[in-house]
Amino acid sequence: MKSVVGLLDYGLSGNLTSVKKAFEECGALVNIIRNGSDLDPVDKIVLPGVGNFRDVMEHISPLKEALIKNIHIKPTLGICLGMQILCKLGFEGGETRGLGIIDAEVKRMEVKGKVPHLGWGTLEILKSSPILDGLTSLDNFYFMHSYEAVNYTEVIALTDYCDHKFVSVVQKGEIYGVQFHPEKSRKTGIKILENFLNQ
Amino acid sequence: MKLRVIARLDVKPPNVVKPIHFEGLRKMGKPDEMALKYYSQGADEILYIDIVSSLYRRPILPEIILTTAKNLFIPFAAGGGVKTIEDFSLLLHNGVDKVVINTHALQEDPTIIERAARVFGSQAVVVHVEAKKWQDWWECYSDCGRIRSGKDVFKWVKTAENLGAGEILLSSVDRDGRKAGFDIELIKEVVSELTIPVIAASGAGSLDGIKEMVQIAKPDAVAVGSLLHYNMTTIDEIKVYLQKNGIKVAI
Repeated sequence: MKSVVGLLDYGLSGNLTSVKKAFEECGALVNIIRNGSDLDPVDKIVLPGVGNFRDVMEHISPLKEALIKNIHIKPTLGICLGMQILCKLGFEGGETRGLGIIDAEVKRMEVKGKVPHLGWGTLEILKSSPILDGLTSLDNFYFMHSYEAVNYTEVIALTDYCDHKFVSVVQKGEIYGVQFHPEKSRKTGIKILENFLNQ
Repeated sequence: MKLRVIARLDVKPPNVVKPIHFEGLRKMGKPDEMALKYYSQGADEILYIDIVSSLYRRPILPEIILTTAKNLFIPFAAGGGVKTIEDFSLLLHNGVDKVVINTHALQEDPTIIERAARVFGSQAVVVHVEAKKWQDWWECYSDCGRIRSGKDVFKWVKTAENLGAGEILLSSVDRDGRKAGFDIELIKEVVSELTIPVIAASGAGSLDGIKEMVQIAKPDAVAVGSLLHYNMTTIDEIKVYLQKNGIKVAI
């Protein structure tokens, strides 16, 4: 049986097409989630990237309750901004409450290098996780972000950018977050999505 | 940080064309086929610019962009004729990750940069600068190197950065499509002025020329068109050459 992935629509923002295409490449069926009831038939939930923390939280506020309930019972993957909104609090566009699932705050990156951080990075894997099956610290993943999740409890991997280590993979039970874009990271990224589908 | 090597497609739908010095056009192939070819060669990103939409004052054509993005699993930047938040959204919903804007922001309304960065995040906003060298200054051009703006390149890139641009795509009206080498002085100056990434475009004429420019000007990425389109080299060959010369790339 094919997994049915529910992909959350953020309205104006969100890179739905790219994420949908990558999951279809892995053989999954993808439903777009616009209302709380759209969540019922899906097996897994994906929160895509691209957008602004505050705007996205506002856009999804009508289904926030249903979303949180479903995330607690279905494997969930947050990508980039999608990982960030899983956190408690964000500061992009003003202080805004996130979904509150991961115990973290999302702050603008402060590094010696250039922000946004655009380009390839590797993972320093701290804990093994099913999401990283078959992947190593040599694999490259594509990052596109100005904000980072500051978290100390659910960290799976860190990434170094200009001598600054930030959280790039988190896991809490069957809820995963990746700061990079697996849908933009060639075969290694597709492997992440396959690992998620195999959950 | 690893240098990104980007394949640049200048498109006059339905073909990739090669503008020579932003003037004459030569048909090179179909954008989806060429994008896939460069993806297979190891490109870090694909850059698609509809070079006639601003000039013809027509909206961007999303279907051909969606088709081009179809088989790519790397970042895809696209632009040409982008004016509104809705244009950004349309592109992002058609497989684009980063939207490229020049003419409208430069000539009409710079606040589009700020508004787009607020809605989509800075990382999704690439400001294309087409620089033309005069005796003692560089001027920003628009509409594929045809229309003057009177604006100074260094002031404009700083303005764009302050408005929230996430990246600068730096072309040279004098060097584009000539395979005659980069304007290294210009690139170096822009890179050192900014705290956002810079893509050096226009002028890649040889592997050694790319290496030299990267070593001196230190951009975050290089965009290559003609050299690839004329099969004078491949993305993997460029990356291996740069790596041998001590420049970090993702292979």
